[in-house]
Amino acid sequence: MSDDAAVRVKGLVKAYGGRRVVDGLDLEVAAGEIVGLIGANGAGKTTTVECVQGLRRPDRGTISVFGLDPRADSDRLRRLVGSQLQSAGLPDRLRVGEAVRLFGGREGQDLLERFGLDARRRSPFAGLSGGERQRLFLVLALVSHPRLVILDELTQGLDPASRRGVWAAIGGLRTQGTTVLLVTHELDEAEALCDRVVAMRDGRVLDAGTPAQLVDRHGRSATIMFTIPAGLPAGSLEQLPGVASVVVEAGRATVTGARAAIAEVGALLVHTGDIPGDLSVRVPGLEDALVELLEGATPIGAADRRELIGAL
Amino acid sequence: METTVALVKTELKLMVREPLTLLFVFVFPVVTMLIIGGAFGTTPTRAFDWVNPSHWYVASYLTVVIAATGLIMLPVHLASYRERGVLRRFAVAGFGRWSFVTAQAVTGLVAIAAGSVVLLVVAAPVYGLPSAHHLAPAVAGFALGSVAFVALGVLLGTVLPSARSAQAVGMLAFFPSFLLGAGGPPPRVMGSAVRAVAGYLPLTWVTNAVRDPWLGTGSATASLVVVAALAVVVALPAARRSVLRAGR
Repeated sequence: MSDDAAVRVKGLVKAYGGRRVVDGLDLEVAAGEIVGLIGANGAGKTTTVECVQGLRRPDRGTISVFGLDPRADSDRLRRLVGSQLQSAGLPDRLRVGEAVRLFGGREGQDLLERFGLDARRRSPFAGLSGGERQRLFLVLALVSHPRLVILDELTQGLDPASRRGVWAAIGGLRTQGTTVLLVTHELDEAEALCDRVVAMRDGRVLDAGTPAQLVDRHGRSATIMFTIPAGLPAGSLEQLPGVASVVVEAGRATVTGARAAIAEVGALLVHTGDIPGDLSVRVPGLEDALVELLEGATPIGAADRRELIGAL
Repeated sequence: METTVALVKTELKLMVREPLTLLFVFVFPVVTMLIIGGAFGTTPTRAFDWVNPSHWYVASYLTVVIAATGLIMLPVHLASYRERGVLRRFAVAGFGRWSFVTAQAVTGLVAIAAGSVVLLVVAAPVYGLPSAHHLAPAVAGFALGSVAFVALGVLLGTVLPSARSAQAVGMLAFFPSFLLGAGGPPPRVMGSAVRAVAGYLPLTWVTNAVRDPWLGTGSATASLVVVAALAVVVALPAARRSVLRAGR
């Protein structure tokens, strides 16, 4: 076990009313790492980070954050950890500038500028848009220069441009060496930001690794689409190594299979000497990989799976 | 300590921006005192324990400020914080465990003090301020009553699930207390059943603890003991429930 772990969770169990929401979870986040906890609603992500924050008492298991116990050493720990909580608001009439002073002294000015809230310093919280509120919460999580930042549903309700802005800011944290634990069900967000992703379901870790590793392990299929050139012998696509299926519709082929099939189909097209102009290839991203991962997980009912994939 | 001071300052600022607080703590007692205080003239009668009715009401209405703070302002404020997860945010942001309850106590007591000053400043030129027969017990009654109702307000705010329910319960507790225990008809003109009900209201005891020594209409000892006991009994669970702490 590495000594530079920012967060170390072993065998965490947490149940509400007899239902285990987190069920024997292990999690390690190295200092300076950006780790994403991903999974559908109800996977136990938020409960896990609430235990890490010391907001909930684990039924079983141990948690250490920078070597401290989140419950016993909460006062010391809270200076080291910045949190952006799901469903935690601010007083309606508290102004942006006042909130920053209340939560972090006088150092929030540049953060307000960085997150585009400088002009809103005198606005009351109730007058902010959803996106502005999210950005303010992020500023409040960062204002005390924490060593670990826990961000739960960070970009919920943000428009695409603000989302990119927030992502850039999180990327900036990496260069300062801040450790980030990100809870999300936005897989593109996890893919864009995280060094490592931990996929959860039913309170357990299904798999963990870099986004590329998860894609490698679980996102095996690729899709190649093109208009079939005249010189391509019928039935030749099905014969190619790695090809799982070929669907032809109105002269256009959709080939799915292993990623090696991309090269095989490409080689065949080069060989026929007629490369179609509409050739397109879709390789799996984290989202596809996770859908495969979650579909492959057992035991899992069909209804359950639909719900899970819908949530993803 | 630092976070407590910051939170107290912020809560005081927010208090004066809250229309419900301004209305019930600062405006309502003054307006009703002006109306009722002039309704029975200035001639002492038996109904008013042989004191000037205007003075009787000026002394009584200080506790209307106390009731408005404890039964409306604080419960609604705290319940809305809990409803919106503001307390969770304070808890994880490293605010001291006692910072929030301290801020509520200070805010409540400041609201009562400020509301009372406004009331007396308005009353003075209109009805005149009654001279104090026994100043020390009257001040003690006012202080203990303030503490008891601030604690009651904090406790209600930690029990009621939402700002709306706090407002409903608060109003339901406030108006009977106001009418029977402080600002309504004097007990001597109440029917026996109503007077019996009034006798059970905490605000009645606080009003007696302030008004009797102030106007010299009776001994305040029993009232002071009851109000002090109420303050202790309510303050303990109120403080315990409003400590910033983690969940279960």
